[in-house]
Amino acid sequence: MNEPANREEMMESVALYALGVLPREEAALIAAFIANDLEARREYLDLRAAADAIAHSADEPVDSATSSRMKERLMARVRAAASGQTAARSRVQAAYPAWIWGTGLATAAAVVFSVVTVAQDVNLRGNLAAAQRRIQVLAAQNSQIERVAAQDRRTLTDLLAPDAKRYEVAAGTVVVRRDRIYFAFSKLPPPPKGHVYQAWTAPKGSTTVAPSVTFSPNADGVAVVALPVDATRVGAVAVSVEPEGGSKAPTTTPTFVKPLT
Amino acid sequence: MDPGVRLMERVAARDVRAFEALYDGYHRLVFGIGLRMLGDPALAEDLTQTVFMKIWTAPEAFRGGSFVAWVSRVARNRALDVLRSKAVHPESEIPADLPLEGALDDDVFSRLDAQRVRDALSALPPEQRALIELGFFGGVTHQELARRTDTPLGTVKTRIRSGLRRMRETLGERVSR
Repeated sequence: MNEPANREEMMESVALYALGVLPREEAALIAAFIANDLEARREYLDLRAAADAIAHSADEPVDSATSSRMKERLMARVRAAASGQTAARSRVQAAYPAWIWGTGLATAAAVVFSVVTVAQDVNLRGNLAAAQRRIQVLAAQNSQIERVAAQDRRTLTDLLAPDAKRYEVAAGTVVVRRDRIYFAFSKLPPPPKGHVYQAWTAPKGSTTVAPSVTFSPNADGVAVVALPVDATRVGAVAVSVEPEGGSKAPTTTPTFVKPLT
Repeated sequence: MDPGVRLMERVAARDVRAFEALYDGYHRLVFGIGLRMLGDPALAEDLTQTVFMKIWTAPEAFRGGSFVAWVSRVARNRALDVLRSKAVHPESEIPADLPLEGALDDDVFSRLDAQRVRDALSALPPEQRALIELGFFGGVTHQELARRTDTPLGTVKTRIRSGLRRMRETLGERVSR
């Protein structure tokens, strides 16, 4: 990554971030910078507003045939979904009439016949099974990508949200939004060899800490960490350096302890 | 108030007519973003279907603010997902656009119109406009922008920053927070 040499360069990267053209790793660096810098946050919100407006330039007439086709297709799906919900509710209350059972049996017989026919063609069945497995794998991969992307979006949204609470700590900021807590470090030194940073949380009204996630900054000293806790129940957070794999209780003096007031 | 906000309240209550009105009001924008980013009417059509079906099935995803800004971001994010999944662009590590709740006034976008934004873009120096449009609709990184336009990376950064600031000034209070 090209490490920004100075603040002005970081501010220029804020514009790139607002436009959405930074690669993931640099985006994390700038997100941490913005989260820790009021002027950068203002600049981001200003430029982001301009960047958002650009979408409007794509608002152009769609030819009527395309527009009608899209609407017909969409509304058919929506009405089917809406009536499906109603039908599902009805099914709970009413038994099937006898003629539906007859139709259902006929349909089932047709399906069985089709399955038997297909089963006779071993090669076809093998190909079909392989294709289905492939589809399942691709669907699973796609779901995973979408989950990661959604998590990234939520994290970055929380980090930059105007309504988030921010607590300055050594080398970064603790950001709390709704029931979520994040550490956003931009200048965290690397831990000693064989060690990692570990987060700790203390419930409200208690001084006993519970172990949380371990992490290390990247080469630029950047680390953005989401704590897997309910922020509404946490009274304080801390970070200490621990052996790889983490500890059950802090073994070194914490880098910081921050009450979340 | 952004009319989309009121319609979304009714969509959340499973009002099909409100959903239809929402589609009528905003499908051009969603389709347009898809077409600009994906360059294929069929893909843009699929994207429009996906975006509006998501609106119908998960209206709670909209948490207030400007509906048109939100739906624009949803459309752009979805287009970026498509670009990634199709590996059309090798720079697939580009981050998703960030939905920034509460960043804009409710009706900021409803006061904007396509022609005004196009005029603001046209008022930019060509070299700034080209980078901003390619960056926004092309789904590429700043390094790729530099490579494609044969421009030093530092110049790309400066031009994008200057261009966005100028856009902000040209659009004036219409994009004010």
